[in-house]
Amino acid sequence: MIAAADLARVPCRPAPLAEPRIRIGLGPGDEPLVAPGDAVAPGTPLVRRPRHPQVVGQALRGRAAPRAGTHFADGAPLVGDGRRALRFDGAGEVLYVTPAGTVRAVVARHHGVIVSPVNGAVESLDACALVVRGAGPAIPAALAVGAPSHGPLVIAVERPEAELHATQIDVRHAGAVLVAGSRIDIEGLTRARAMGVRGVITGGVIGGDMLALRASLDRQEASLQASPPFALLVLDGYGKRPVPAAAWEALTACGGEAVGLSITPPLVLFGPAAAVPRAEPGRVRVAAGPLLGRTGRIVGSSGLRRRAAGVYQECARVALDPIALPGGAELVDVPLADLERDG
Amino acid sequence: MTSGPHAFFTIDIGSATVAAALVARVDGRWRLLGAAAAPASVAVDALLGDLAARASAAEPDLLPDAAAWSDWARVESRTLPPPRLVLAGPSERAAEPLLRAFTSDGWETTAHVTPERSGALDAARALRDPDLDLVVVAAPEGLGRGERDALADLLALIGATAALRDGLAVLVAGPAAGTIPQLPSERVTRAHGAGDAAAIAREMVRARSDGRDAFVRAIASLAVLLDLRVEGVDVGLDASTRVLAGPDGVQRRLIRADAALVPPIALDDLAVLDRIMRWSPVADDAYVVRDRLRNLRLAPWRDAAGDGARLRLAAARAALAHLDAAWREEAREGRGGAGRSGRRRSDGMLATPDLLVASGGAFATAPGPAVALALTDTLRRPGAVAMALDHARILAPLGTLDDESDRRRLLADLLDDLLLPLGSAIVVPGLRPARKGNLRVTVEGSTTTLPLAPSAVQVVDLPPGLAATAELDAPDDLFVGTRARRVAFAVAGGIGGLLVDTREIPLRLPERPERRREHLDAWQRPLWTNADP
Repeated sequence: MIAAADLARVPCRPAPLAEPRIRIGLGPGDEPLVAPGDAVAPGTPLVRRPRHPQVVGQALRGRAAPRAGTHFADGAPLVGDGRRALRFDGAGEVLYVTPAGTVRAVVARHHGVIVSPVNGAVESLDACALVVRGAGPAIPAALAVGAPSHGPLVIAVERPEAELHATQIDVRHAGAVLVAGSRIDIEGLTRARAMGVRGVITGGVIGGDMLALRASLDRQEASLQASPPFALLVLDGYGKRPVPAAAWEALTACGGEAVGLSITPPLVLFGPAAAVPRAEPGRVRVAAGPLLGRTGRIVGSSGLRRRAAGVYQECARVALDPIALPGGAELVDVPLADLERDG
Repeated sequence: MTSGPHAFFTIDIGSATVAAALVARVDGRWRLLGAAAAPASVAVDALLGDLAARASAAEPDLLPDAAAWSDWARVESRTLPPPRLVLAGPSERAAEPLLRAFTSDGWETTAHVTPERSGALDAARALRDPDLDLVVVAAPEGLGRGERDALADLLALIGATAALRDGLAVLVAGPAAGTIPQLPSERVTRAHGAGDAAAIAREMVRARSDGRDAFVRAIASLAVLLDLRVEGVDVGLDASTRVLAGPDGVQRRLIRADAALVPPIALDDLAVLDRIMRWSPVADDAYVVRDRLRNLRLAPWRDAAGDGARLRLAAARAALAHLDAAWREEAREGRGGAGRSGRRRSDGMLATPDLLVASGGAFATAPGPAVALALTDTLRRPGAVAMALDHARILAPLGTLDDESDRRRLLADLLDDLLLPLGSAIVVPGLRPARKGNLRVTVEGSTTTLPLAPSAVQVVDLPPGLAATAELDAPDDLFVGTRARRVAFAVAGGIGGLLVDTREIPLRLPERPERRREHLDAWQRPLWTNADP
């Protein structure tokens, strides 16, 4: 029998979202290409972002001061007419006008474009952020790095606890979003980017690999050659961590369909028609310790237990689901804090 | 049983965990019947119902209407992530006092904008952070001409950027700034100086720091009630608090976001992780330990036994050490700037309190003796101190009560229940290797003599409820709060006993990782003895 009171004291994993909000932070010089209420689809350009922006100034010399936040094209007159017009060498945005009468603006010669990772609509837009409301469900993740991206979902491993090695990634995966199991290392991530993969979803990542990827993405951003967007989404945390069972079921159910990856907040975004399987009531997952990733059901309370290092913790008796061989469920005592259930 | 309310819950909702306690009237006084903690994602009612059911099952007559637990009063404190600010100033010199004031008041400074430090692009980026709560502008008197020009330029940028977004408040500290171009005056708040600005800002975001302020108030009430100098430390996931209070009220408070258990920046900053790892006795690959610490940030309730417990206390030690360094720095600044009265005040800040109270989820599952050593390792002052743990995290909720007399009355009733006695520590630094001393501990007429070795931690068994006299007999003058060869301390027992610590102040740890871990393990092992089942 499932002890309802014990189950209620198991921490919840964030539930799938029905109407996810994806936030694109806007910086100086970013030019929104959509307006609130606009419908967007995967690949719709959302924001034009300057590459290598610089702040430059021009004296007003009696001309009317332009409003801060005004966007201008390369060489286009900002204020004034003809030869007296105020122009900047490069496209950009007016930042402010100094007390001495100098217009300071952020300009760039090259720009990149941030595209929508999902079907939906632009919900809000201001100087700081653009928010898209997704039309389909989404699974929350723990961490993300890179840029919003999208592509067909490819389950690249057979089991949620398997690892994806660099040698398993090739040109067939170009444009895809790969599900990489419990871990992918920096070699695998580098190869994935080289093969044109648009994103990787994994249960865990080594912190050093995450930092190396971020540094590599920053270097790519600093180069003159723009690269397609790439995102790494980590569902559970640092280290080698199996893809959580409910997320694995949702991902495998949507294999081959287009998915999007959001960075802020970290989300796996599904299409409007996607049906994310509902979590099985009463099922729990071990989220820490040697049984990490195993699922099962609480059959009762074990009370306060003395554990390694003299720590006392409230535990539950869990009947673990069999891994390979069918047979009787294995009974273990697991601290409530080390369990999780789908919310 | 009285006819009035006979039971209520205290609830402390933190960033990582929620702690609840059931308090009921028993034989005419309030008593703690039970307490529990759970990850913050667990519904509070699940905890409360469980507490009521357990108490009722153990003593059915104590709570005659236990089924009506959902109607009982709840005294709740809530702590949110620290508020975020951009600090702008015409020069480093002008901005520095504000940086110190806001950093000491629990703010997270996301950008520090001065002409020396950042250009217009960085400043504009920082001002467009969607999660920003406040922009603070330093505009003190006595600016040079270059600083005045820089301030005018800065105000123009801030005005232009703030006008593009709704709701961002701007606080100007000092008289040197005029109107801010493009920004309506109702969006600008003015303050006289750094201290005034921090106080005004605290009011502007009062809800964000309510739990931490409540902890400060509760410690102050405790100090009045006990007529003692009481110091409180609370290590949380997003910030840590330290407060010193005496019978006359709060003497000093410090809230630091960068002294959190594992600050958010630790996910990406190896230096911050390595600062924590310096306190770790866990022998494992560095990258594995770093990832475990990162996971401690993401899900702090998990992995709380075994090496997970040791790593958690390593993170708590790093947070306490960082808090202590900031505390000492402030004390030094007080000495430098405030003359003789300031010297007395700063000496008081560094003097050993009578009672040290620890609180927060960081200590929730750790064995008491290990917590006692963590406090002794980091908040190091010569002399003797009694230590206690707010094990049910009741202090912050009680601190939310508006009426001081209510708070004291409840504290008086609950005192024996809410403070878990960890024991006492006597810190005797400066013992020279060839000149050994002795410590005689007398408990209920029975005396034990303990030879003192330099740079060591020794544990004397002194159970909770017992008081003892510890007499130090050294061959040379030692500074233990006072300079003497022979001095006696009254010490109280606890689950950690009496810790006798002859290590240096501050604690010096070897630079080589293996050697450092050996030292930490040697000091900590006796307090985790027989800990593994």
